[in-house]
Amino acid sequence: MTSVALHAADGVVLAGRSPAPRSSWTLARAALLAVVIAYLGIVLLMPLAALVAKGIATGPLRIARELAAPEALFAFGQSLILAAIAVVLNGAFGVAGAIVLVRHRFVGRKILDAIVDLSLAISPVMTGLAFLLVFGRSGWLAPLGIKVAFALPGLVLCTLFVTLPYTLREVGYVLEEIGTDDEEAAATLGASAWQSFWRVTLPNVRYGLAVGLTLTAARALGEFGAVLVVGGAISGRTQTATTFIYAMSEERREAAAFGMAIALAVASMLLLAAVEKLKHRKGDR
Amino acid sequence: MSAPLPAALVPGRGGLAVRAGVTAYVVLLVAIPLAALAHRGLADGLTVFWAAATSPEALDAFALTLWTAGVVAFLNAIFGTATAWVLVRYRFRGRRLLSAVIDLPFAIPTLVTGLMLVLLFGPQEVLGQWLSAQGISILYSPPAIVLALLFITVPFVVRAVEPVLLELDPAEEEAAHTLGASDLSIFGNVILPAIAPAIALGTLQCFARAIAEFGSIVVVSGNIPSRTLTAPVLIFGEVEGGYPGSAAAVSLLLLSLALALSLGVRGLRSLRSKR
Amino acid sequence: MIAFADIRNAAFALSLTALAACGGETEASNQAGSPPPVRSLTLGAYTTPREVYGQKILPGFAKQWKEKTGEDVKFAESYLGSGAQSRAIIDGFEADVAALSLEPDITKIADAKLITRERKDAPNGGMVSRSVVVIGVRPGNPKNIRGWDDLTRKGVEVLTPNPKTSGGAMWNIVALYGAALRGGTRATAGDSAAAEAILAAVVRNVRIMDKGARESMLTFESGVGDAIITYENEALVARKAGKAMDYVIPTSTVLIENPVAVVDVYAEKHGNGDLAQAFVDYLSSPEAQRHYAEYGLRAVDESVAKETAGTYPPVKDLFTIRDLGGWPQVTKTLFDRGGVFERATSRKMVAAR
Repeated sequence: MTSVALHAADGVVLAGRSPAPRSSWTLARAALLAVVIAYLGIVLLMPLAALVAKGIATGPLRIARELAAPEALFAFGQSLILAAIAVVLNGAFGVAGAIVLVRHRFVGRKILDAIVDLSLAISPVMTGLAFLLVFGRSGWLAPLGIKVAFALPGLVLCTLFVTLPYTLREVGYVLEEIGTDDEEAAATLGASAWQSFWRVTLPNVRYGLAVGLTLTAARALGEFGAVLVVGGAISGRTQTATTFIYAMSEERREAAAFGMAIALAVASMLLLAAVEKLKHRKGDR
Repeated sequence: MSAPLPAALVPGRGGLAVRAGVTAYVVLLVAIPLAALAHRGLADGLTVFWAAATSPEALDAFALTLWTAGVVAFLNAIFGTATAWVLVRYRFRGRRLLSAVIDLPFAIPTLVTGLMLVLLFGPQEVLGQWLSAQGISILYSPPAIVLALLFITVPFVVRAVEPVLLELDPAEEEAAHTLGASDLSIFGNVILPAIAPAIALGTLQCFARAIAEFGSIVVVSGNIPSRTLTAPVLIFGEVEGGYPGSAAAVSLLLLSLALALSLGVRGLRSLRSKR
Repeated sequence: MIAFADIRNAAFALSLTALAACGGETEASNQAGSPPPVRSLTLGAYTTPREVYGQKILPGFAKQWKEKTGEDVKFAESYLGSGAQSRAIIDGFEADVAALSLEPDITKIADAKLITRERKDAPNGGMVSRSVVVIGVRPGNPKNIRGWDDLTRKGVEVLTPNPKTSGGAMWNIVALYGAALRGGTRATAGDSAAAEAILAAVVRNVRIMDKGARESMLTFESGVGDAIITYENEALVARKAGKAMDYVIPTSTVLIENPVAVVDVYAEKHGNGDLAQAFVDYLSSPEAQRHYAEYGLRAVDESVAKETAGTYPPVKDLFTIRDLGGWPQVTKTLFDRGGVFERATSRKMVAAR
């Protein structure tokens, strides 16, 4: 179900119509604001603060040392690779898929659309199980003898699965909002389909694309259930940043566990902060 | 949304090739594994499937999963709408920060979410100690599941309602205001009907996300069969315990629910697009 | 437009970083793979002995192998719950050696035709370490827990992992149920209904069933619960890690025996048959046995067991899985669908009490 998260399109098209915010602050408004802040504070910020406090208590130097260990570097590097693959493949798929789902009309389009959404509503454990049933030793494709389960390809497939819809949806929203006037104009001017795609469509959806890719990367970095089931968390082979956290807390190496948790959170938050910045820049345009 | 285009953007053979490619990708990556799951769930016959999917342990897990997800969806429907309202209608210092905070759950891996809650409510932590002195225990019980799910699903309702609120035509509200309607009746009669589909969409997405959650719950819940074991964690146990058939059976039931929700979301989204 | 160029640059930079990381990895593994003979051995183990393997036994074996053959050995290690590890190996995790918590998990791998050699002739029946199921308590034993019966008391919070995912938990349940059957609790010896009632009463007091034995211990260390059913070696390793940990050995408890086997189909496939067998043989050597003993496990080697008897007191009524009819029988009555354990956890049973 998706990321509705950060629609890139909305601000551009709609911002002009929102009523001018009223400036009078009544008691009721202040109370509502207080409630909202309290809610987000309890649900989101308090747990985050607990992690940060733990990080400080453990000591940044110790954490840095733990994270510089080869095992930790490998796990983090592997997560980065998975995220990069997801960004490239699901980025390309997302753009193509959004065009197909938003602009094409064909039998089965709705089913395709629903299947895309489905990949987000499915528990990652089920994803892992499903891939094992296909690629495991007694799976459907076992006779082909490709090594997928408990190896990098299995991790890649899981990551692609769980990040499938993000780019597609974000680009899709933009395509729905902007319609096809620009492309039609380009066609009138004699542009080929390819030219029109590179010069018109892609620039038009760039913010949506950037948002989608960011969400894809963040989700890929954080995947746990599916990569645990399919990968088996083998040190130096299928360990990812998240399964590393899991392994380290089991070994009572708290500094390494929390250090990696903090590293992951920081990496993902930097990505999101970049998107946030984009949203505002776009809003100013 | 604009009217369906007669001519696809990439017309002719190229367009068809792209369409085929997209379809193939989705089929290979999603449909085939899910088909394998469905096949495995039903491979031992309907009776076995039904017995596994409706064993007392599975039914209790479903009940727990559904009610916690329901509570979370309900809370987010209310607080999410309030948050969207505040973000769109109020101007105050820190608004952008607040808006950025909403997206935090997209950045934090769910396993880390679970760890954070343990750090917050663990019996040796400050807050956990204070709460247990008050006789309140959060960790390893349903409240912990609800808190973890709340963390993960915060953005859905907010981000669904926000654009619709932005889009609202202020003229209607002003007219109602001129006619002497109270703020409350304006909200109930003018604004709420307009944003209701968006709230429903966000709530449904939130619910769908909640019933699938694994990484954080496996850390914060007690995982005791029939008491604090949710359906995804039950599936994990069945997989790891070497019962792929029963894991697939329970998965299949959860999958059907996810499919229904996914179709519901689709319906609501197209409703929104058409407006 | 400018903005877009920025994003593109940023994205490009990001992907370069990722590629660089990627390149770094491959290079490193290539180097490791080619010049001097380095052999890679994959160990699929259960979670509790991870310290002894990681810190002592693997380095110890690598040293010995280097002296003997001049080859370097590099280990890839995976630690999962015993059942999960067994499942992973069956599903295609190509471990050369499986070190698991209990025999049935090895049997499953053999049933999948991945272990083809008869294991009965192996020294000690293929078992490399032992332990006993104990009850961990808070320092000073504030709840005055002396044995199994105390775990049924109202208000005593108990931890034990989930037997679905954890071999450790299976041992725990077997210890409790077996003790009850043998008169080690208030239940009359031989009364299986009474034994089941004892089990249900303890399960009712269980607050958390973690995925594995180690996780369960970590939860206990974090301050949850009054008692934990665990292995003696888990308690000793926790102590070694500086945790305040007391434990009670019940008068009647089960002898845990941990099997190790060469997964010969995979080992041959990797050309590792000799290496894997040498590793498994090494595990029974006095040197490795001493390492086990140092990390809380009871040695199977008689002489080492005698040396270390001080740390490992004898148990009054120590029974083995064979005394209960062997694993196939125990698995069937206790852990299969509709078995004793499932009945004990079902809501009806819990509510009725």
